[in-house]
Amino acid sequence: MAVAVSERSAPAARPAPRARRQRGGRAARNVGIAVALFFALAPIYWMLSTSFKPELEATQSDPSLLPNEYTMGNYQSLFNGAMPFGSFVVNSVITAAAAALISLVLSAFGGYALSKGNFRLREPMSFLILLTRMLPLVVLLGPLYLLLLNANLINTMLGLIIGYISFAVPFGVWLMKGFFDGVPKEVIEAARVDGYPRWQILLRVALPLTIPGLLTTATFIFIDVWNNIIYPLALINTIENQVLPSGLMLSFTGQFKTNWGGMMAASVLTSIPLLIAFFAIQRSMVRGLTAGAVAGE
Amino acid sequence: MAKISLRDVEKSYGSELVLRDCNLDIDDHEFVVLVGPSGSGKTTLLRIIAGLEPVSGGDVYFDDVCVNNIDVGDRDIAMVFQNYGLYPHKSVYENMAFGLRRRKISKSEIDERVRQAGELLGIGDLLRRRPKQLSGGQRQRVALGRAIVRDPSAFLLDEPLSNLDAHLRVQMRAEILKVHKTVTATAVYVTHDQVEALTMGDRIVVMRDGMIQQVGTPDHLYDYPANRFVAGFIGTPAMGFLRCSVRRSADGDTELVSPGVQIPLPRERAAAIPADVDTVEVGVRPERLYLDQTAARSGTLSGTVEMVEQLGSEYYVHVNIDDAVITARTSRDQRVEIEESVKLTTDGAYAHLFDVETGAAYA
Repeated sequence: MAVAVSERSAPAARPAPRARRQRGGRAARNVGIAVALFFALAPIYWMLSTSFKPELEATQSDPSLLPNEYTMGNYQSLFNGAMPFGSFVVNSVITAAAAALISLVLSAFGGYALSKGNFRLREPMSFLILLTRMLPLVVLLGPLYLLLLNANLINTMLGLIIGYISFAVPFGVWLMKGFFDGVPKEVIEAARVDGYPRWQILLRVALPLTIPGLLTTATFIFIDVWNNIIYPLALINTIENQVLPSGLMLSFTGQFKTNWGGMMAASVLTSIPLLIAFFAIQRSMVRGLTAGAVAGE
Repeated sequence: MAKISLRDVEKSYGSELVLRDCNLDIDDHEFVVLVGPSGSGKTTLLRIIAGLEPVSGGDVYFDDVCVNNIDVGDRDIAMVFQNYGLYPHKSVYENMAFGLRRRKISKSEIDERVRQAGELLGIGDLLRRRPKQLSGGQRQRVALGRAIVRDPSAFLLDEPLSNLDAHLRVQMRAEILKVHKTVTATAVYVTHDQVEALTMGDRIVVMRDGMIQQVGTPDHLYDYPANRFVAGFIGTPAMGFLRCSVRRSADGDTELVSPGVQIPLPRERAAAIPADVDTVEVGVRPERLYLDQTAARSGTLSGTVEMVEQLGSEYYVHVNIDDAVITARTSRDQRVEIEESVKLTTDGAYAHLFDVETGAAYA
């Protein structure tokens, strides 16, 4: 009987240090996640908090975490006609959506060609496309400005959309190439054996299999373009043609003071479409990113 | 239905020549198996026939028409891929109907063909499912069904059973043969499994290093291998090889001898060895080696048992003879132990003789 007891108690005693180690590991991991979350969310909290503070409180040297006095004045001021906030929103939506859509179509064709095509310059072309993404946007801006100037497209939405596409497409092509790499070669070849031409294989087989990739690419491009501030500042020269990031900066930043409360209120409203877009496709986006990553291996 | 001919087909990737001097005639309705080890070029040759790879040299003919410049979709072939190649986003029905839609076949005929193929392959009740909802064997049947409904001139099958377990493989082998008998189209089947090749092929094409080594019926390849490679590749367990001297006596008798080995050759076998050759590579099939020493067989081979494989109904006894290991297939009644000295007997009439340098058979 005593032997039986010791046999039962021995296995119970052994896992204890391992369980302690596991608990310790979990705690350390949670602390790490909390620190990362703090750095990611603190600016968002500060943006929200400041957007409800009156002008004096928003600029005081000893800022408080929560507003001492709540005000909606910063939000109301966006729509009182002092600046064309509505135009900024409309311009941003049109240019970002158009750039994302056109870039997505071009990226799908380009990515498919680089992934499944069989032509001599495929590797150098892939590298060249990646190279354009490695260059700072400012470097590309000078030549692009001259091109658009000669085409009379400065201070136009079309010119801005072309500018956005110039940096969005290389990124999109590489993302889409990764997703197309995940489509098995045999599936594409089966469609060839079935008699379909390449463009129909892209439309009927490859694209339906990369829908998460398409959503991911479109979202990344949309966010990338939506947040861009350098191109509209350089390519648009009237306030009413500006988009949100550049328009807000020009409207709220003066020579002697910055209206932090107004800028934060505008930033909150600007972030909402991005958050909606992100949460709407969050699941397929994560799936899409995973598929792309595995395909590259 | 199509007769397929290859004339001096070559394929290179950059400077690397992966196929050369491939000449082959496949008759209408014939089931031909391309077999060889990994990297032998069998899949590349199949893809060239399909039109998925262009040739670097030579010509491919379908019914005496050169198809080098005809796209894969216009060659009227159907292909079954190693990993099935099913469309994951389409149902089983849509997978089979997809190729027919491209050919502008009426909806009613598509429906009839798909349902017929479904019944033939036992997947009639799975037509609404997606590929991910099917087992490996069911997916393989869908891939076969997709090929059958097309009613093509030729079926090309690239290691279609390699992803299935052993039991299912045997079952699907029979299914494929049944389907081939039903549709009677020309079939080219690639495998690295020589058992599959022997059991399925009307003729077998053995490949190695991008070259066709021998083409023949399963029996012909087994009994008359053209070279040492084919002899060693075809047959399970593999043929054993020994290097022996050719000892010719004044009265015209010939013996193969080496330490522990003495095999008298019948005159017609001995006559195949050129007069200036005094060393040959001797191959003996495991079923031609006997532990039963009472039988009247004049060839003897003495060695030490190195390993015994138990297969239930029989044993494979691996015997070391002067550092060469040969395998004998024995019955359950003839148990031997590892390290035991044994004497095997054989008949010189069944000894295969190969050139030591080139490996070519002395026929």
